[in-house]
Amino acid sequence: MLGAFRSALATPDLRKKILFTLGIIVVYRLGATVPAPGVSFKNVKECVEEIDQQGIYSLINLFSGGALLNLSIFALGIMPYITASIIIQLLTVVIPRFEQLKKEGQSGQGKLTQYTRYLTIALAVLQSTGIVALAVRGQLFQNCSVDVIPDSSIFTLIVMVVTMTAGTSVIMWLGEIITEKGIGNGMSLLIFTGIAARIPTEGQNILQRGGLTFFLVCVAALLIIASVIYVEQAQRRIPVQYAKRMIGRRMYGGTSTYLPLKVNQAGVIPVIFASSLLYLPDLISRLTTSTTSEPGWWQTFVQTHLVSQSSPVHISLYFLLIVFFTYFYVGITFNPDERADEMKKFGGFIPGIRPGRPTAEYLRFVLGRITLPGSLYLGIVAILPNLFLDLTGTGQNQNFPFGGTAVLIMVGVGLDTVKQIESQLMQRNYEGFLR
Amino acid sequence: MILFLQILLIVSSLLLVLLVLLHRGRGGGLSSLFGGGMQSSLSGSSVVEKNLDRLTLFVGAIWIIAIVGIGLLVKVN
Repeated sequence: MLGAFRSALATPDLRKKILFTLGIIVVYRLGATVPAPGVSFKNVKECVEEIDQQGIYSLINLFSGGALLNLSIFALGIMPYITASIIIQLLTVVIPRFEQLKKEGQSGQGKLTQYTRYLTIALAVLQSTGIVALAVRGQLFQNCSVDVIPDSSIFTLIVMVVTMTAGTSVIMWLGEIITEKGIGNGMSLLIFTGIAARIPTEGQNILQRGGLTFFLVCVAALLIIASVIYVEQAQRRIPVQYAKRMIGRRMYGGTSTYLPLKVNQAGVIPVIFASSLLYLPDLISRLTTSTTSEPGWWQTFVQTHLVSQSSPVHISLYFLLIVFFTYFYVGITFNPDERADEMKKFGGFIPGIRPGRPTAEYLRFVLGRITLPGSLYLGIVAILPNLFLDLTGTGQNQNFPFGGTAVLIMVGVGLDTVKQIESQLMQRNYEGFLR
Repeated sequence: MILFLQILLIVSSLLLVLLVLLHRGRGGGLSSLFGGGMQSSLSGSSVVEKNLDRLTLFVGAIWIIAIVGIGLLVKVN
Protein backbone atom coordinates (compact mmCIF):
# COMPACT_ATOMS: atom_id res chain seq x y z
CA MET A 1 0.00 0.00 0.00
CA LEU A 2 2.67 2.50 1.00
CA GLY A 3 4.87 1.22 -1.78
CA ALA A 4 2.12 2.08 -4.24
CA PHE A 5 2.07 5.59 -2.86
CA ARG A 6 5.78 5.89 -3.35
CA SER A 7 5.71 4.66 -6.91
CA ALA A 8 2.77 6.98 -7.64
CA LEU A 9 4.82 9.94 -6.48
CA ALA A 10 7.96 8.68 -8.15
CA THR A 11 6.41 8.68 -11.61
CA PRO A 12 7.05 12.19 -12.91
CA ASP A 13 3.89 12.91 -14.87
CA LEU A 14 1.62 11.16 -12.40
CA ARG A 15 3.18 13.21 -9.61
CA LYS A 16 2.57 16.34 -11.64
CA LYS A 17 -1.08 15.40 -12.12
CA ILE A 18 -1.64 14.68 -8.43
CA LEU A 19 0.02 17.90 -7.32
CA PHE A 20 -1.95 19.88 -9.91
CA THR A 21 -5.21 18.41 -8.60
CA LEU A 22 -4.27 19.22 -5.01
CA GLY A 23 -3.39 22.78 -6.02
CA ILE A 24 -6.78 23.32 -7.67
CA ILE A 25 -8.51 21.93 -4.58
CA VAL A 26 -6.61 24.42 -2.40
CA VAL A 27 -7.72 27.27 -4.67
CA TYR A 28 -11.32 26.05 -4.42
CA ARG A 29 -11.23 25.87 -0.62
CA LEU A 30 -9.64 29.30 -0.35
CA GLY A 31 -12.33 30.78 -2.57
CA ALA A 32 -15.02 29.14 -0.46
CA THR A 33 -13.92 31.19 2.56
CA VAL A 34 -13.80 34.59 0.85
CA PRO A 35 -17.04 36.42 1.59
CA ALA A 36 -18.86 38.06 -1.30
CA PRO A 37 -18.53 41.86 -1.46
CA GLY A 38 -21.23 43.53 0.61
CA VAL A 39 -21.58 40.69 3.08
CA SER A 40 -20.57 41.44 6.62
CA PHE A 41 -18.43 38.49 7.57
CA LYS A 42 -18.66 39.24 11.28
CA ASN A 43 -22.45 39.32 11.25
CA VAL A 44 -22.63 36.10 9.26
CA LYS A 45 -20.47 34.33 11.84
CA GLU A 46 -22.71 35.61 14.60
CA CYS A 47 -25.87 34.46 12.83
CA VAL A 48 -24.50 31.01 12.08
CA GLU A 49 -23.69 30.54 15.73
CA GLU A 50 -27.01 31.96 16.87
CA ILE A 51 -29.24 29.62 14.92
CA ASP A 52 -26.85 26.68 15.03
CA GLN A 53 -27.85 25.55 11.54
CA GLN A 54 -31.47 24.66 11.29
CA GLY A 55 -30.68 21.99 8.77
CA ILE A 56 -32.91 23.41 6.11
CA TYR A 57 -30.08 24.13 3.78
CA SER A 58 -28.00 21.33 5.15
CA LEU A 59 -27.80 19.28 1.98
CA ILE A 60 -27.05 22.14 -0.31
CA ASN A 61 -24.60 23.49 2.24
CA LEU A 62 -23.03 20.05 2.27
CA PHE A 63 -22.31 20.15 -1.44
CA SER A 64 -20.76 23.58 -1.26
CA GLY A 65 -18.69 22.67 1.77
CA GLY A 66 -20.17 25.27 4.08
CA ALA A 67 -19.64 28.02 1.54
CA LEU A 68 -23.34 28.72 1.17
CA LEU A 69 -24.04 29.75 4.71
CA ASN A 70 -20.92 31.90 4.68
CA LEU A 71 -22.30 33.66 1.61
CA SER A 72 -18.89 33.36 0.01
CA ILE A 73 -18.02 34.01 -3.62
CA PHE A 74 -18.28 30.28 -4.28
CA ALA A 75 -21.55 30.09 -2.35
CA LEU A 76 -23.43 28.20 -5.04
CA GLY A 77 -20.77 25.56 -5.39
CA ILE A 78 -21.29 23.16 -8.27
CA MET A 79 -24.99 22.83 -7.62
CA PRO A 80 -26.02 24.78 -10.74
CA TYR A 81 -23.84 22.54 -12.88
CA ILE A 82 -25.35 19.40 -11.40
CA THR A 83 -28.88 20.71 -11.84
CA ALA A 84 -28.09 21.74 -15.40
CA SER A 85 -26.76 18.29 -16.29
CA ILE A 86 -29.83 16.65 -14.78
CA ILE A 87 -32.10 18.88 -16.83
CA ILE A 88 -30.19 18.32 -20.07
CA GLN A 89 -30.13 14.56 -19.50
CA LEU A 90 -33.87 14.48 -18.82
CA LEU A 91 -34.44 16.58 -21.93
CA THR A 92 -32.64 14.08 -24.15
CA VAL A 93 -35.57 11.77 -23.56
CA VAL A 94 -38.08 14.45 -24.49
CA ILE A 95 -36.50 16.53 -27.26
CA PRO A 96 -35.66 14.57 -30.44
CA ARG A 97 -32.85 16.94 -31.44
CA PHE A 98 -31.02 16.30 -28.18
CA GLU A 99 -31.40 12.57 -28.63
CA GLN A 100 -29.97 12.87 -32.11
CA LEU A 101 -27.02 14.85 -30.75
CA LYS A 102 -26.39 12.22 -28.13
CA LYS A 103 -26.22 9.48 -30.72
CA GLU A 104 -23.91 11.51 -32.93
CA GLY A 105 -20.85 10.53 -30.96
CA GLN A 106 -18.16 12.88 -29.83
CA SER A 107 -19.12 16.09 -31.62
CA GLY A 108 -22.74 15.76 -30.52
CA GLN A 109 -21.70 15.06 -26.95
CA GLY A 110 -19.51 18.15 -27.05
CA LYS A 111 -22.49 20.21 -28.13
CA LEU A 112 -24.62 18.81 -25.30
CA THR A 113 -21.86 19.67 -22.83
CA GLN A 114 -21.81 23.19 -24.22
CA TYR A 115 -25.59 23.48 -23.71
CA THR A 116 -25.13 22.24 -20.16
CA ARG A 117 -22.58 24.97 -19.53
CA TYR A 118 -24.86 27.71 -20.86
CA LEU A 119 -27.69 26.40 -18.74
CA THR A 120 -25.37 26.35 -15.74
CA ILE A 121 -24.75 30.08 -16.01
CA ALA A 122 -28.47 30.77 -16.40
CA LEU A 123 -29.25 28.68 -13.31
CA ALA A 124 -26.41 30.35 -11.42
CA VAL A 125 -27.96 33.77 -12.07
CA LEU A 126 -31.33 32.47 -10.83
CA GLN A 127 -29.97 30.78 -7.73
CA SER A 128 -27.64 33.58 -6.71
CA THR A 129 -30.49 36.06 -7.05
CA GLY A 130 -32.56 33.76 -4.88
CA ILE A 131 -29.91 33.40 -2.20
CA VAL A 132 -29.13 37.11 -2.10
CA ALA A 133 -32.84 37.94 -1.90
CA LEU A 134 -33.24 35.50 0.99
CA ALA A 135 -30.25 36.95 2.78
CA VAL A 136 -31.46 40.55 2.42
CA ARG A 137 -34.93 39.72 3.68
CA GLY A 138 -33.40 37.92 6.63
CA GLN A 139 -34.89 34.59 5.65
CA LEU A 140 -31.62 32.80 5.18
CA PHE A 141 -31.01 33.08 8.88
CA GLN A 142 -34.38 33.22 10.53
CA ASN A 143 -34.64 35.06 13.83
CA CYS A 144 -31.14 36.48 13.61
CA SER A 145 -30.62 39.79 15.37
CA VAL A 146 -28.06 41.39 13.04
CA ASP A 147 -28.18 42.18 9.33
CA VAL A 148 -26.13 39.93 7.12
CA ILE A 149 -25.92 42.52 4.38
CA PRO A 150 -25.60 45.93 6.04
CA ASP A 151 -25.82 48.02 2.88
CA SER A 152 -28.85 46.78 0.96
CA SER A 153 -28.87 49.19 -1.96
CA ILE A 154 -29.77 47.73 -5.33
CA PHE A 155 -26.29 48.30 -6.73
CA THR A 156 -24.57 46.30 -3.97
CA LEU A 157 -27.01 43.46 -4.49
CA ILE A 158 -26.35 43.42 -8.22
CA VAL A 159 -22.61 43.29 -7.56
CA MET A 160 -23.16 40.30 -5.27
CA VAL A 161 -25.29 38.41 -7.79
CA VAL A 162 -22.81 39.03 -10.60
CA THR A 163 -19.89 37.96 -8.40
CA MET A 164 -21.55 34.72 -7.33
CA THR A 165 -22.42 33.91 -10.93
CA ALA A 166 -18.82 34.46 -11.97
CA GLY A 167 -17.78 32.31 -9.00
CA THR A 168 -19.90 29.47 -10.31
CA SER A 169 -18.33 29.71 -13.74
CA VAL A 170 -14.89 29.66 -12.12
CA ILE A 171 -15.81 26.48 -10.23
CA MET A 172 -17.01 24.93 -13.46
CA TRP A 173 -13.70 25.77 -15.07
CA LEU A 174 -11.71 24.43 -12.11
CA GLY A 175 -13.61 21.15 -12.34
CA GLU A 176 -12.98 20.91 -16.04
CA ILE A 177 -9.25 21.48 -15.80
CA ILE A 178 -9.02 18.86 -13.06
CA THR A 179 -10.72 16.39 -15.38
CA GLU A 180 -8.46 17.37 -18.24
CA LYS A 181 -5.05 17.87 -16.68
CA GLY A 182 -5.37 16.36 -13.24
CA ILE A 183 -6.58 13.03 -12.00
CA GLY A 184 -10.12 11.86 -11.39
CA ASN A 185 -13.39 13.53 -12.27
CA GLY A 186 -13.18 17.23 -11.44
CA MET A 187 -16.77 17.88 -10.42
CA SER A 188 -17.08 14.92 -8.10
CA LEU A 189 -13.69 15.67 -6.57
CA LEU A 190 -14.87 19.17 -5.74
CA ILE A 191 -17.99 17.78 -4.05
CA PHE A 192 -15.73 15.35 -2.18
CA THR A 193 -13.57 18.22 -0.92
CA GLY A 194 -16.58 20.13 0.30
CA ILE A 195 -17.79 17.18 2.35
CA ALA A 196 -14.39 16.20 3.68
CA ALA A 197 -13.80 19.77 4.84
CA ARG A 198 -16.67 19.44 7.30
CA ILE A 199 -15.48 16.27 9.01
CA PRO A 200 -13.31 17.94 11.69
CA THR A 201 -16.05 20.30 12.91
CA GLU A 202 -18.75 17.65 12.84
CA GLY A 203 -16.46 15.25 14.66
CA GLN A 204 -15.86 17.84 17.33
CA ASN A 205 -19.60 18.34 17.76
CA ILE A 206 -20.00 14.65 18.44
CA LEU A 207 -16.97 14.54 20.73
CA GLN A 208 -18.65 17.11 22.94
CA ARG A 209 -21.47 14.66 23.54
CA GLY A 210 -19.09 12.35 25.35
CA GLY A 211 -16.29 9.96 24.60
CA LEU A 212 -18.41 6.81 24.44
CA THR A 213 -20.78 8.27 21.86
CA PHE A 214 -17.82 9.39 19.78
CA PHE A 215 -16.31 5.92 19.94
CA LEU A 216 -19.60 4.26 18.95
CA VAL A 217 -20.11 6.67 16.08
CA CYS A 218 -16.59 5.98 14.81
CA VAL A 219 -17.15 2.23 14.91
CA ALA A 220 -20.49 2.60 13.13
CA ALA A 221 -18.90 4.85 10.52
CA LEU A 222 -16.13 2.34 9.84
CA LEU A 223 -18.70 -0.44 9.49
CA ILE A 224 -20.77 1.63 7.06
CA ILE A 225 -17.71 2.59 5.03
CA ALA A 226 -16.56 -1.03 4.83
CA SER A 227 -19.97 -2.25 3.71
CA VAL A 228 -20.27 0.54 1.14
CA ILE A 229 -16.90 -0.44 -0.34
CA TYR A 230 -17.98 -4.08 -0.33
CA VAL A 231 -21.09 -3.35 -2.38
CA GLU A 232 -19.37 -0.83 -4.64
CA GLN A 233 -16.81 -3.42 -5.67
CA ALA A 234 -19.35 -6.20 -6.25
CA GLN A 235 -19.89 -7.20 -9.83
CA ARG A 236 -21.44 -9.96 -11.89
CA ARG A 237 -19.11 -11.41 -14.47
CA ILE A 238 -20.84 -12.59 -17.61
CA PRO A 239 -18.57 -14.92 -19.56
CA VAL A 240 -17.91 -13.97 -23.17
CA GLN A 241 -16.26 -16.35 -25.63
CA TYR A 242 -14.52 -15.02 -28.69
CA ALA A 243 -14.41 -17.12 -31.82
CA LYS A 244 -11.08 -17.90 -33.46
CA ARG A 245 -10.53 -16.34 -36.81
CA MET A 246 -7.75 -16.16 -39.33
CA ILE A 247 -6.68 -12.83 -40.74
CA GLY A 248 -3.91 -13.43 -43.25
CA ARG A 249 -1.64 -15.99 -41.66
CA ARG A 250 -2.26 -15.05 -38.08
CA MET A 251 -4.81 -16.35 -35.69
CA TYR A 252 -6.93 -13.96 -33.65
CA GLY A 253 -9.41 -14.44 -30.85
CA GLY A 254 -10.25 -17.73 -29.26
CA THR A 255 -10.02 -16.18 -25.83
CA SER A 256 -12.68 -16.20 -23.18
CA THR A 257 -13.15 -13.09 -21.07
CA TYR A 258 -15.99 -11.68 -19.08
CA LEU A 259 -18.22 -8.65 -19.17
CA PRO A 260 -18.32 -7.09 -15.70
CA LEU A 261 -21.69 -5.71 -14.57
CA LYS A 262 -21.44 -3.81 -11.32
CA VAL A 263 -24.18 -4.20 -8.75
CA ASN A 264 -24.20 -0.46 -8.34
CA GLN A 265 -23.56 0.56 -11.92
CA ALA A 266 -24.74 4.11 -11.32
CA GLY A 267 -22.30 5.10 -8.58
CA VAL A 268 -23.20 8.13 -6.52
CA ILE A 269 -24.98 10.07 -9.23
CA PRO A 270 -28.54 9.03 -8.19
CA VAL A 271 -27.92 10.25 -4.64
CA ILE A 272 -26.65 13.61 -5.85
CA PHE A 273 -29.57 13.97 -8.24
CA ALA A 274 -32.23 13.00 -5.74
CA SER A 275 -30.98 15.35 -3.06
CA SER A 276 -30.65 18.28 -5.42
CA LEU A 277 -34.18 17.67 -6.73
CA LEU A 278 -35.57 17.59 -3.19
CA TYR A 279 -34.00 20.94 -2.52
CA LEU A 280 -35.81 22.73 -5.35
CA PRO A 281 -39.35 22.93 -3.86
CA ASP A 282 -37.85 24.31 -0.67
CA LEU A 283 -36.09 27.11 -2.51
CA ILE A 284 -39.22 27.95 -4.52
CA SER A 285 -41.45 28.02 -1.46
CA ARG A 286 -39.04 30.28 0.40
CA LEU A 287 -38.77 32.69 -2.49
CA THR A 288 -42.51 32.99 -2.86
CA THR A 289 -43.19 33.45 0.83
CA SER A 290 -43.56 37.08 1.79
CA THR A 291 -42.37 38.11 5.21
CA THR A 292 -45.63 39.70 6.25
CA SER A 293 -48.52 37.51 5.17
CA GLU A 294 -49.34 34.00 6.29
CA PRO A 295 -47.70 31.20 4.29
CA GLY A 296 -49.98 29.47 1.79
CA TRP A 297 -51.12 25.87 2.18
CA TRP A 298 -48.55 24.42 -0.17
CA GLN A 299 -45.73 26.33 1.47
CA THR A 300 -46.61 24.89 4.84
CA PHE A 301 -46.89 21.49 3.17
CA VAL A 302 -43.39 21.83 1.74
CA GLN A 303 -41.97 23.00 5.05
CA THR A 304 -43.52 20.29 7.19
CA HIS A 305 -43.28 17.31 4.87
CA LEU A 306 -40.49 17.84 2.37
CA VAL A 307 -37.94 19.87 4.29
CA SER A 308 -38.17 18.30 7.69
CA GLN A 309 -35.87 15.33 7.50
CA SER A 310 -37.64 13.30 10.12
CA SER A 311 -40.96 13.29 8.30
CA PRO A 312 -41.87 9.98 6.66
CA VAL A 313 -42.86 11.80 3.46
CA HIS A 314 -39.37 13.21 3.08
CA ILE A 315 -37.68 9.90 3.81
CA SER A 316 -39.82 7.82 1.47
CA LEU A 317 -39.68 10.40 -1.31
CA TYR A 318 -35.91 10.54 -1.06
CA PHE A 319 -35.74 6.74 -1.18
CA LEU A 320 -38.04 6.49 -4.20
CA LEU A 321 -36.18 9.21 -6.08
CA ILE A 322 -32.89 7.40 -5.53
CA VAL A 323 -34.31 4.12 -6.82
CA PHE A 324 -35.78 5.87 -9.85
CA PHE A 325 -32.58 7.71 -10.68
CA THR A 326 -30.52 4.53 -10.34
CA TYR A 327 -32.58 2.85 -13.04
CA PHE A 328 -32.66 6.01 -15.12
CA TYR A 329 -28.92 6.47 -14.97
CA VAL A 330 -28.13 2.84 -15.70
CA GLY A 331 -30.54 3.02 -18.63
CA ILE A 332 -28.64 6.00 -20.00
CA THR A 333 -25.10 4.75 -19.53
CA PHE A 334 -25.43 1.09 -20.41
CA ASN A 335 -27.05 0.22 -23.69
CA PRO A 336 -27.51 -3.58 -24.04
CA ASP A 337 -28.27 -3.37 -27.78
CA GLU A 338 -25.02 -1.55 -28.43
CA ARG A 339 -23.02 -4.00 -26.33
CA ALA A 340 -24.58 -6.97 -28.10
CA ASP A 341 -23.84 -5.43 -31.48
CA GLU A 342 -20.25 -4.78 -30.54
CA MET A 343 -19.80 -8.33 -29.35
CA LYS A 344 -21.26 -9.69 -32.56
CA LYS A 345 -18.94 -7.55 -34.64
CA PHE A 346 -15.84 -8.95 -33.00
CA GLY A 347 -17.05 -12.50 -33.05
CA GLY A 348 -17.91 -12.77 -29.39
CA PHE A 349 -20.85 -14.50 -27.78
CA ILE A 350 -22.15 -15.48 -24.39
CA PRO A 351 -22.07 -19.28 -24.09
CA GLY A 352 -25.55 -20.71 -24.58
CA ILE A 353 -27.08 -17.54 -26.01
CA ARG A 354 -27.26 -16.59 -29.67
CA PRO A 355 -25.57 -13.34 -30.69
CA GLY A 356 -27.63 -10.35 -31.67
CA ARG A 357 -31.05 -9.67 -30.22
CA PRO A 358 -31.19 -12.60 -27.74
CA THR A 359 -27.87 -11.45 -26.26
CA ALA A 360 -29.19 -7.91 -25.85
CA GLU A 361 -32.29 -9.25 -24.16
CA TYR A 362 -30.23 -11.44 -21.85
CA LEU A 363 -28.02 -8.49 -20.89
CA ARG A 364 -31.07 -6.34 -20.25
CA PHE A 365 -32.60 -9.06 -18.08
CA VAL A 366 -29.45 -9.50 -15.98
CA LEU A 367 -28.96 -5.76 -15.66
CA GLY A 368 -32.54 -5.22 -14.53
CA ARG A 369 -32.19 -7.92 -11.90
CA ILE A 370 -28.83 -6.73 -10.66
CA THR A 371 -29.81 -3.07 -10.46
CA LEU A 372 -32.65 -3.77 -8.03
CA PRO A 373 -30.45 -4.64 -5.04
CA GLY A 374 -28.05 -1.90 -6.14
CA SER A 375 -30.74 0.76 -6.04
CA LEU A 376 -32.21 -0.53 -2.77
CA TYR A 377 -28.76 -0.46 -1.21
CA LEU A 378 -28.18 3.14 -2.33
CA GLY A 379 -31.54 4.21 -0.96
CA ILE A 380 -31.10 2.46 2.38
CA VAL A 381 -27.62 3.81 3.02
CA ALA A 382 -28.77 7.31 2.09
CA ILE A 383 -31.72 7.35 4.50
CA LEU A 384 -29.86 5.53 7.26
CA PRO A 385 -28.96 8.67 9.27
CA ASN A 386 -32.60 9.83 9.22
CA LEU A 387 -33.35 6.89 11.45
CA PHE A 388 -30.84 8.00 14.08
CA LEU A 389 -32.18 11.48 14.66
CA ASP A 390 -31.46 11.51 18.37
CA LEU A 391 -27.81 10.73 18.04
CA THR A 392 -26.90 13.48 15.64
CA GLY A 393 -29.31 16.18 16.68
CA THR A 394 -32.26 17.32 14.61
CA GLY A 395 -31.53 18.64 11.19
CA GLN A 396 -27.91 17.63 11.31
CA ASN A 397 -28.38 14.12 10.08
CA GLN A 398 -28.09 14.56 6.33
CA ASN A 399 -24.86 16.45 6.43
CA PHE A 400 -23.64 14.17 9.14
CA PRO A 401 -20.37 13.12 7.51
CA PHE A 402 -20.23 9.61 8.98
CA GLY A 403 -23.33 8.17 7.41
CA GLY A 404 -25.70 8.34 4.49
CA THR A 405 -25.28 10.63 1.55
CA ALA A 406 -21.92 11.99 2.61
CA VAL A 407 -20.31 8.57 3.05
CA LEU A 408 -21.75 7.33 -0.25
CA ILE A 409 -20.32 10.28 -2.11
CA MET A 410 -16.97 10.21 -0.36
CA VAL A 411 -16.39 6.48 -0.78
CA GLY A 412 -17.63 6.51 -4.37
CA VAL A 413 -15.44 9.39 -5.45
CA GLY A 414 -12.48 8.09 -3.48
CA LEU A 415 -12.68 4.65 -5.11
CA ASP A 416 -13.02 6.19 -8.55
CA THR A 417 -9.98 8.38 -8.10
CA VAL A 418 -7.85 5.59 -6.67
CA LYS A 419 -8.82 3.39 -9.61
CA GLN A 420 -7.75 6.07 -12.05
CA ILE A 421 -4.39 6.46 -10.33
CA GLU A 422 -4.06 2.71 -10.35
CA SER A 423 -4.71 2.40 -14.05
CA GLN A 424 -2.03 5.02 -14.63
CA LEU A 425 0.33 3.00 -12.46
CA MET A 426 -0.50 -0.18 -14.33
CA GLN A 427 0.58 1.45 -17.56
CA ARG A 428 4.03 1.72 -16.08
CA ASN A 429 4.06 -1.78 -14.59
CA TYR A 430 3.78 -0.81 -10.99
CA GLU A 431 1.69 -2.60 -8.44
CA GLY A 432 -1.52 -0.81 -7.61
CA PHE A 433 -3.41 0.01 -4.45
CA LEU A 434 -6.19 -2.51 -4.93
CA ARG A 435 -5.68 -6.20 -5.32
CA MET B 1 -12.72 54.05 -4.69
CA ILE B 2 -15.18 51.39 -3.66
CA LEU B 3 -17.43 52.34 -6.54
CA PHE B 4 -14.53 51.99 -8.96
CA LEU B 5 -13.69 48.55 -7.59
CA GLN B 6 -17.32 47.51 -7.79
CA ILE B 7 -17.55 48.51 -11.42
CA LEU B 8 -14.25 46.73 -12.09
CA LEU B 9 -15.68 43.67 -10.35
CA ILE B 10 -18.82 43.66 -12.49
CA VAL B 11 -16.84 44.03 -15.71
CA SER B 12 -14.33 41.34 -14.78
CA SER B 13 -17.12 39.00 -13.64
CA LEU B 14 -18.91 39.30 -16.96
CA LEU B 15 -15.63 38.78 -18.83
CA LEU B 16 -14.85 35.76 -16.70
CA VAL B 17 -18.20 34.12 -17.43
CA LEU B 18 -17.72 34.80 -21.12
CA LEU B 19 -14.18 33.40 -21.17
CA VAL B 20 -15.14 30.24 -19.31
CA LEU B 21 -17.99 29.67 -21.72
CA LEU B 22 -15.62 30.12 -24.65
CA HIS B 23 -13.58 27.14 -23.51
CA ARG B 24 -14.33 23.94 -25.31
CA GLY B 25 -16.49 21.82 -23.05
CA ARG B 26 -14.08 18.99 -22.48
CA GLY B 27 -16.74 16.66 -21.32
CA GLY B 28 -15.61 17.66 -17.89
CA GLY B 29 -17.85 17.10 -14.96
CA LEU B 30 -20.86 14.93 -14.60
CA SER B 31 -21.92 14.96 -18.21
CA SER B 32 -18.88 12.89 -19.11
CA LEU B 33 -20.15 10.26 -16.74
CA PHE B 34 -23.35 10.23 -18.73
CA GLY B 35 -22.09 9.83 -22.25
CA GLY B 36 -20.44 6.58 -21.38
CA GLY B 37 -16.91 6.59 -22.64
CA MET B 38 -16.49 9.91 -24.29
CA GLN B 39 -12.75 9.83 -23.88
CA SER B 40 -10.97 13.12 -23.98
CA SER B 41 -9.73 13.53 -27.49
CA LEU B 42 -6.07 12.89 -28.07
CA SER B 43 -5.63 16.14 -29.92
CA GLY B 44 -4.16 17.93 -26.89
CA SER B 45 -4.86 21.54 -26.19
CA SER B 46 -4.57 23.85 -29.14
CA VAL B 47 -2.86 27.24 -29.18
CA VAL B 48 -6.25 28.92 -28.88
CA GLU B 49 -7.04 26.96 -25.73
CA LYS B 50 -3.66 27.78 -24.24
CA ASN B 51 -4.10 31.50 -24.82
CA LEU B 52 -7.64 31.29 -23.51
CA ASP B 53 -6.33 29.63 -20.35
CA ARG B 54 -3.85 32.42 -19.84
CA LEU B 55 -6.46 35.11 -20.43
CA THR B 56 -8.87 33.42 -18.03
CA LEU B 57 -6.21 33.28 -15.33
CA PHE B 58 -5.43 36.96 -15.87
CA VAL B 59 -9.06 38.06 -15.62
CA GLY B 60 -9.54 35.75 -12.65
CA ALA B 61 -6.66 37.48 -10.87
CA ILE B 62 -8.26 40.90 -11.45
CA TRP B 63 -11.57 39.48 -10.19
CA ILE B 64 -10.02 38.23 -6.94
CA ILE B 65 -8.11 41.48 -6.41
CA ALA B 66 -11.30 43.49 -6.82
CA ILE B 67 -13.18 41.29 -4.33
CA VAL B 68 -10.45 41.37 -1.71
CA GLY B 69 -9.98 45.11 -2.28
CA ILE B 70 -13.66 45.85 -1.63
CA GLY B 71 -13.57 43.66 1.45
CA LEU B 72 -10.55 45.49 2.87
CA LEU B 73 -11.94 48.96 2.09
CA VAL B 74 -15.25 48.14 3.77
CA LYS B 75 -13.40 46.92 6.82
CA VAL B 76 -11.28 50.08 7.04
CA ASN B 77 -14.30 52.39 6.76
